[in-house]
Amino acid sequence: MLDKMSPLGRLDAYGKGENIDRLPCVPIVGNTAARIIGVKVSELRNNGELLAEAQVEAYRLFGYDTIRIFTDLYVQAEAMGARVVKPSDETAYLDAPAITDASQIERLRPADPAHDGCLPAHLAATRIAVREVGLEVPVTTALTCPFTNASFLIGTENLIRFMYKDPAAVHKLCEVSLQTNVAFAGAIMEAGAAPSLTDPMSSSTVVSPAKFREFSLPYLARLITHLHSAGKKVTLHICGKTDRIWDYMVEAGADCISIDNQIDLGQACVKVGGRVRLMGNVAPSEVILQGTPDDVRTAVRTCVRKAWRSPKGYVVASGCSLPTETPFSNIHAMMDAVREIGFPVTEEKLREGS
Amino acid sequence: MADEASLFQDISDAVVAMDEERVVDLVRAVIEKKIDVYEAIEKGLSHGMERAGQLFEEEEYFVPELLICSDAMYAGLDLLRPYLKRSDEGSKHKVVIGVIEGDTHDIGKNLVKIMLETAGFELHDLGRDVPAPRFVEKAREVDADIIAISTLMTTTMDGMAEVIRLLREANIRDRLKVIVGGGPVSQGFADRIGANGYAANAGAAVKLARRLLDGETVHAG
Repeated sequence: MLDKMSPLGRLDAYGKGENIDRLPCVPIVGNTAARIIGVKVSELRNNGELLAEAQVEAYRLFGYDTIRIFTDLYVQAEAMGARVVKPSDETAYLDAPAITDASQIERLRPADPAHDGCLPAHLAATRIAVREVGLEVPVTTALTCPFTNASFLIGTENLIRFMYKDPAAVHKLCEVSLQTNVAFAGAIMEAGAAPSLTDPMSSSTVVSPAKFREFSLPYLARLITHLHSAGKKVTLHICGKTDRIWDYMVEAGADCISIDNQIDLGQACVKVGGRVRLMGNVAPSEVILQGTPDDVRTAVRTCVRKAWRSPKGYVVASGCSLPTETPFSNIHAMMDAVREIGFPVTEEKLREGS
Repeated sequence: MADEASLFQDISDAVVAMDEERVVDLVRAVIEKKIDVYEAIEKGLSHGMERAGQLFEEEEYFVPELLICSDAMYAGLDLLRPYLKRSDEGSKHKVVIGVIEGDTHDIGKNLVKIMLETAGFELHDLGRDVPAPRFVEKAREVDADIIAISTLMTTTMDGMAEVIRLLREANIRDRLKVIVGGGPVSQGFADRIGANGYAANAGAAVKLARRLLDGETVHAG
């Protein structure tokens, strides 16, 4: 089934409350993009041309509503000295943080996106994607937020112990991470794209709402203020449990909050749907990776039923980045389900085929 | 006796309050007064840690709070260790624990380890990014009662099924229990791969382990 509108046209009209052909839909494709063009996952990370090609081809194949240049969460931390393992055909992971104790914090410098680590490659990919398809689809580049990046600089256990034993150290690590974020975000915007914020360590699966407010929120708010001053709308993704920090995510200034499947989407609509757009909630692992196309269709309809009336809108999306080996047929099923429902959404459409 | 009971309660409270210094002071008092160290562990340190685990399950405490409580608990335990009799070590149930290959997120695993240790299990920690055959090897080597496998990533879940397959091949599947946990894991997944159980968090893992071992008593220390 082909779409009548381009993603940019659709999102623009949806934002204005005008008629659209279907709800926006973003299966958050990460390294699955490598499978689309038949290369190994590790080949994308430091190769701007290939990374752009993979993400642009993935967009062209599925027709979703936002491109996100992404390989893993560690690119900024690596550019600041963290060591990352790059398995040949799997997503990269953190091997060793940049420093091992608080006395070394002063050594850390904000990354220079033009030179450090694979940030230049991610920026090159951003520029190419913008050039290729930027007039039809929003291009974003993933940006790991201050608190999560700080955890990669000194190690997660250290960071969360310091929240009690050396709070000043946590603030310093978040501050230097924010400086890297601001520099990287500036370069992303210069390339014609918008940063896509992700902050998994801020989840209440890890830290309490009170600690989130103390250590993460101030830096998120400053980052988002900076992006707003450059005229960008901001989507903030935090996975895991988030129901007790939705208000803070709104307070941070996000225009859209992207949430995963461990929370109740209906409740999110009631609590914050009047203030921010919602996105996410289709289970990436249980449904989109492991389910059948029919399971995916059912899950999409369930989410749409809960959220399509949300005052600031709803973007059908996976709760988190899709695992690399997600079957293409399930991503197609997700898009097709949204196309079948169409717009305006009706109860009848939601029942069809279910 | 009343004195001892209130001392144990104070230790438990200090663990819950994340007050490591106070735990150390109170445990020193236990040693000076020649109070039964096993009781001090069970009714003080472990008791406090179980309450912390309960608060974690109730989402009053989160990962940082549980870690700081465990720091306080271990500080007390380290002081008491020289007073424990070696022969007691053999009677504990053994757990081989690790994060399956391909995944290096080990906070969840570490919390489960802490809680199981606190509950009196003997832990053999294989660390993170552990190949499936290594779980089986280690379980054989130490004659484990339980294998506990964790992952935070969807991409590595097959490795959990592989451990169970290898246990079957080695004809030792019935000799031990396999429990699984971590972000993308569910009861449904545990059933599908033939694990004995799934725990949603570190506190639940202790209850699960105890239930699987038929409520056999496992004493702390």
